[in-house]
Amino acid sequence: MLQVRKNRLWKLVTILFLSAGGISLILFSLNSKLDLFYTPSEMLQADIKSGYRIKLGGMVKNGSVKRDGTIIRFLVTDFIKEVPVIFEGVPPDLFKEDSGVVILGHFLNGTFEAEEIFAKHDENYMPPELTIDEAKL
Amino acid sequence: MIGEISHFLSLSAALLLSLVLIFNLFFFFNKIHQNQLTLSTRLFNQACWLVFISFGMYVYLAISDDFSIAYIASHSNSQLPAFYKVTSIWSAHEGSMFLWIVFLTAWSILFINSLDKKHPLKKLTLLMLSLIILGFLLFLLLTSNPFERILPFGVLEGADINPVLQDPALAIHPPMLYLGYAGFVISFSFITAYLLNGNFELQWEQDIKNWSFMAWIFLTIGITLGSWWAYYELGWGGYWFWDPVENVALMPWLAATAFIHSLFASSKSNVLKTWTMFLGILIFALSLFGAFIVRSGIIDSVHSFANDPERGLYLLSFSGLITLLALTIFAYRLPLLNSSKLVVTGSKESFLSMNNILMVTSIFSIFLGVTYPLIIESISGEKVSIGPPYYNTIFAPLILIAAIFIMLSVDALWQRSMTLKTLFITMVAPTMASLLSIYLIWQATNIFSILAYIGIFSGSLILFSYLFRTINKKFINKGSAIAHVGLGLLFFAVSMNSILSYEKNLNLAPGQSISVNESVQNFSFKDIRVFKASNHDVISAQVLLLQDGKEISLNPQKRKYATRGQITSESAIHASVLKDTYLTIGDQLENGSWTFSLKINYFIKWIWFSAALMVFGILLTIFKKKPS
Repeated sequence: MLQVRKNRLWKLVTILFLSAGGISLILFSLNSKLDLFYTPSEMLQADIKSGYRIKLGGMVKNGSVKRDGTIIRFLVTDFIKEVPVIFEGVPPDLFKEDSGVVILGHFLNGTFEAEEIFAKHDENYMPPELTIDEAKL
Repeated sequence: MIGEISHFLSLSAALLLSLVLIFNLFFFFNKIHQNQLTLSTRLFNQACWLVFISFGMYVYLAISDDFSIAYIASHSNSQLPAFYKVTSIWSAHEGSMFLWIVFLTAWSILFINSLDKKHPLKKLTLLMLSLIILGFLLFLLLTSNPFERILPFGVLEGADINPVLQDPALAIHPPMLYLGYAGFVISFSFITAYLLNGNFELQWEQDIKNWSFMAWIFLTIGITLGSWWAYYELGWGGYWFWDPVENVALMPWLAATAFIHSLFASSKSNVLKTWTMFLGILIFALSLFGAFIVRSGIIDSVHSFANDPERGLYLLSFSGLITLLALTIFAYRLPLLNSSKLVVTGSKESFLSMNNILMVTSIFSIFLGVTYPLIIESISGEKVSIGPPYYNTIFAPLILIAAIFIMLSVDALWQRSMTLKTLFITMVAPTMASLLSIYLIWQATNIFSILAYIGIFSGSLILFSYLFRTINKKFINKGSAIAHVGLGLLFFAVSMNSILSYEKNLNLAPGQSISVNESVQNFSFKDIRVFKASNHDVISAQVLLLQDGKEISLNPQKRKYATRGQITSESAIHASVLKDTYLTIGDQLENGSWTFSLKINYFIKWIWFSAALMVFGILLTIFKKKPS
């Protein structure tokens, strides 16, 4: 083989090797850092390791919000199953009973411990799963 | 009536642009005569003016409260100040598409007329520009018509703009951002025209350099304004959320940053030409991808507009077509494009190229982060989302390597290799100084976070490199130095912010006071007042803080807007050099007490300041006098 070609081959192999390494590192980091999205029924069915961080989406059940100092407890429902949620802090303005929420946190001993509550710019926001489910009903 | 004229003018603009397109296509394989080129330029100019006049009339319609126009009726209100009546135009999808077209047109007409009358690339640039503008005009008229009437009668009162959008920073954030995105239509069209033309002896860098720098400035200002607004208006106390829509704005920004660097190198020492062309195509392709993500609502995000599959499909096909077209031309010409010289190892260009690779790597990582949930969902049906932890771990090492290359390039020379000895000397002082500053910060704060310390170290490396060079009185390119110091400061501020900032949730009754910690010795909730303002009700708390021996008065508010019934929080912010005291009021409990969220945000102002430095640095580069 010509020297030039040999060099080119080596370069190509190195580039391929490095990018493969890079991509697998990224994918590895992706897999450990992504948050799965569940509705209450999906979450209760799925076998989730306790302490594993997920996103829970649903409606805040009417009449379920209880405040105790800076701690808020409420139920998130998809009209089939309900999950009790506990959160410390000031929730976003759009957080209210009978409206959609997405909560980041983990499920521990039957309670969902929320790290963060998301609400949308749009006051009519609903988690996409619920819109689909309602359409089915 | 004015609505119909405005609509008609936009339609005529589309028609005229198709004429220009066909006209120029006709001469695609033939030499165009000078008169014919002048004619097609004139037609193009007229089409552009039709768009401007049409938009001007639309602005008039918004100011004069023409609620028979469906879009204005659902996004404006007669009670709004005139300023917000105008900005309500870009508060939702149709109007912001219109604005985006106006900016595309404005950049195009300015650029085309700045070119020499006989410029050999004029014909093909006109072709590309009219194709792109026409594509978006048709998108506007066919899928997102802002001129639609409510028939037979209009409504008496508009539905009002979303109150969180009634804010000066947010009023100018979209225009700045669009000006940035749209500005890269110039480099995109010009590079594609150059590749189509096939005469590679032509110089093209100088013609688009300053245009690209200007577009970069607008893009940077746009992103910074959005982040600033989110910080003070949304009440979360954060400035960047790695939200999909922020990510799709960051990708073109990174590509644009890589582009202006390699454009600089290629116009300075004739290297990286092919690479620069590729980046020029990439920026606009990423902007179009961003438009698709935001407008189609395919990814769930706080910025999602009303979702419409038809719009998504159109945008996807159009941006795919444009991108594919440009990349095909690029690939077709690639074998002939070896005009540029090789980069000398150890020269300034070599470090600059390394950072270019890093920037493209980060674009790829963000792209993967944005699209991965879509891929997973289509394969397994599982819903996933990717948050800050992913981006932080990806960016920390990239930032570190980038900082090292910036440090090296500060002392490196153009086109000449640096000896190992100088390389070593260059590295020693900033590295030692940065290690020392990390040690001092660790001693002072007693906090250890590997990611944040990587960021602080990277920032310090850049800052100290420039500092030592200034002390040694060596030559410094001011524009570049200021922009890079801005970047160093940004790394530093973001990292310090992440380790030092904290949040306390409090629960107090009016008249009560408590001690929070050593810094906030006393938090006293004086009173709460309820009153009416022009278009909203206000609940305003009066809080007196004793912070670091100083008394601070804060008035966080909650507002309820009459027309939409929407509630917003107005955080009270007290700013000092090092930190912001950020107070948000929560809800009232049954026993009459209220919840508060007190956030102490360190170095947040330094983040905006560093963005301002970057913009200022690039401005200096544009207006630098050419050495005669």
